[in-house]
Amino acid sequence: MPRKPPRYHSLKKIKVRADWSRWSLYHLSQLRPPNLGARTYFQQKWSAKSDTRAYHGEHIREKKWKRRFTSSLPAVVPMDHKYLARHDGSEQAAGRGAGADAQEKTRTPQMTPYMQMTYWPMERRLDMAIWRALFASSARQARQFVVHGLVKVNGKRMRYPGYLLNPGDLFQVDSECVMFATGAPKTRTAVARQVAEEQRAARREAYDPNNSKKPSSELEALPAPTSREEPSPTELKKHLQTLMDDVEGVLGTEVKAKDKQKLRDFRSTIRKAISLWKTATADTIATLDNQFSFLRSALSTAKPEASKSSDPSTQLLSKEDTEKLKAAFDRLKEQAEYDSTWNKRDAKKPYLTPWRPRNYMSAFAFIPRYLEVNQNICAAVYLRHPVARPGLAEVPTPFSIETGQLAFNWYLRRR
Amino acid sequence: MPPRLRTTNVPCTLTCCPSVRSQCITQPSRTSRQFSQTSCQQVTLRRRKFYDWLNGPGLALKEPIPGSTNYLGAYDRYGNLVRASPGWQRRKAGEQQGQSAEQEGEEKKEEAAEGQESPDELEMAARRTEQAKKAEQAGGDALPPETVEDLRPFPLNKHFRSQPVLSEGLREAIYQRVKRDGATVSLASVEFGVSNERVGAVVRLKQMEKEWIAQGKTLAAPYSKAVLDMLPTTPYVDPNRPENKGKRPITHEPINDLPVHAATRQQLFVPVAESRHFTRVDAGKAFDNTLLPADDRIPHPELVQAERELASGLSFEERKKLAEERLAAEQARKAQEEARLKAEDAALKKVPQRRWDFVFQDFSIETVGKSERSLEGVGWRYGFPHEDRKKGHVKIPTKVEA
Repeated sequence: MPRKPPRYHSLKKIKVRADWSRWSLYHLSQLRPPNLGARTYFQQKWSAKSDTRAYHGEHIREKKWKRRFTSSLPAVVPMDHKYLARHDGSEQAAGRGAGADAQEKTRTPQMTPYMQMTYWPMERRLDMAIWRALFASSARQARQFVVHGLVKVNGKRMRYPGYLLNPGDLFQVDSECVMFATGAPKTRTAVARQVAEEQRAARREAYDPNNSKKPSSELEALPAPTSREEPSPTELKKHLQTLMDDVEGVLGTEVKAKDKQKLRDFRSTIRKAISLWKTATADTIATLDNQFSFLRSALSTAKPEASKSSDPSTQLLSKEDTEKLKAAFDRLKEQAEYDSTWNKRDAKKPYLTPWRPRNYMSAFAFIPRYLEVNQNICAAVYLRHPVARPGLAEVPTPFSIETGQLAFNWYLRRR
Repeated sequence: MPPRLRTTNVPCTLTCCPSVRSQCITQPSRTSRQFSQTSCQQVTLRRRKFYDWLNGPGLALKEPIPGSTNYLGAYDRYGNLVRASPGWQRRKAGEQQGQSAEQEGEEKKEEAAEGQESPDELEMAARRTEQAKKAEQAGGDALPPETVEDLRPFPLNKHFRSQPVLSEGLREAIYQRVKRDGATVSLASVEFGVSNERVGAVVRLKQMEKEWIAQGKTLAAPYSKAVLDMLPTTPYVDPNRPENKGKRPITHEPINDLPVHAATRQQLFVPVAESRHFTRVDAGKAFDNTLLPADDRIPHPELVQAERELASGLSFEERKKLAEERLAAEQARKAQEEARLKAEDAALKKVPQRRWDFVFQDFSIETVGKSERSLEGVGWRYGFPHEDRKKGHVKIPTKVEA
């Protein structure tokens, strides 16, 4: 492997690299079609080759790639079985000479972009496939995973990043490493640590049951600075506590036994939810918010009736309402339990916990069709070689088809 | 990292004197350490532009949009999401997502594609109706479904787009269909509109996942959830639910792909008499004598056969009988092949050992041929170097047995 170029993400010489960095994203956004005017053919080919090689297997020596290059590019044509059954192919030539050539307009099929397939042998490499399956954040990192023995092919450890996958090969990466590669990194700077410490202290203070009254009054006093849309878990907890007090107040007044039982069930579900609040993480808050608003609306519609009349016909909570509330709380519980078992805070992990995808990952997240990935076990199957089909080439390349063609021609000239 | 501020480290008294200024240029502007190898990170125009882009148009790409893809192709030059209505905001999208998750149970799937001619458009149409439904349920403020442009991670490459992957529900359904109901791979492939190889892979991976769960290994659940949320997915239309009555499953990919044969890459002019009935079979022969017609080379020739029988006007019973006969013949062929393999295996003499078995197989030394260099020959021959000692031979394994 050649060493990493000194200015890997140079802003002066724009080269799109095979990784998920913000530099790559910026370069992708700045990429322009090749300048074909006032340049010799050789110059055009050279720059096309150099641009594409900076992305496709930059960590592979040029000579190795040249040996791997092949001018035959795989392609498929989707067939319609109904058409095949009805016609035997002779209809395409029928009656031409007899003057029966006035046909209905045939649709011209889309162009097959063969020229975007120049680098398809590169996609067969194990490290590239790992990167394409979204198990590593760059091709170099994928290569490192293989070299470090974190990858298995068909259940056997494979330490060669240059292993060419065969159709049907199953490869598997250590899931902790995948989480590390694709997750947000831990904050390591002194300032970040200090900020985190402060936040933790604030959280501890907010959760302290002894002085729970004080922060709530502060929050009410200062609504302007905390201009967040979603309420924090503590706020939600407070809301729900008031809600429970309301329920208890209603329970105290005279209601029929059946209603009382229902309300007691309701109260117990709320209690359960409150106990789960502590484990709630940032991404559950949105759901909690919705649950809460729904709950409040349900109760506000039901409550006036209950307060003004205690006759059995008008119940405090109709059957559907309780069912809905039950379902909502069950889902809430499930969510909180899921987060506490699968995505909990853990200082020992090498990545930021609770896990979240790293920045700018979504802009690069796609899985080509020649791979079938199961994200739960961080394993994937290389189904077949990448192919071109009408209008679509399966090799992911950020360059336009003109660049692809020029690069193909560059490698063609020595064959 | 915010852009660094330009520091005027050169005193103004120096700038007026040209001789001293030239000296200033040769020495890089103030470096913190003399021995540092890091290139001096000055605030250049390019660097400023980079951070401007990151904090302006690039900010939208930093985090995923909940419940949607978030590719570069979906934005214009100024970082506006093209498909979004003017009032749309990311923050609201998160809330909408929470609500739509509530309503996921009563989601409705629209009728999907028939035929295989232009799967891309049909697939897109199916997805679009799907998402339009979702948007309707979520309220007026939700994101409209993605167009082809929105699925382009590389705006310059018009011939590549992020294609949908199988959703968790669909994977589970395929696994259950094959494992529990015992459907053949090709049958499941036709039913779900998923290619043969993918059906096999899904079953293999699902099986592995179940083994993991049984062993109590930790699944990468948060990763899976986040990634599937970022990608376009093909949803599963459960036919058992009452609201999906009469709906067809959404075709995931074209299942009858004909590989382009190398012999057909050339252009060929074959003069043919007008009276001659020139079919696909003849055309294949013209290219290459061994080239079979498309009917036999596609992954699902049985579909063509079934369609032909339907077109020939056979009754249902007759067609059923024919299909059963074919199935029986296929099974007989498979059984025969299995028996042959078993017999071959039994013919070998085996001596079991602690870790490995010794297997004895009959060979003739004549297989090396007259030159004694034939590849069929067995054993090491004196004076004949090992292949892997030769120049240019790579020792990376070429295959791993499953």
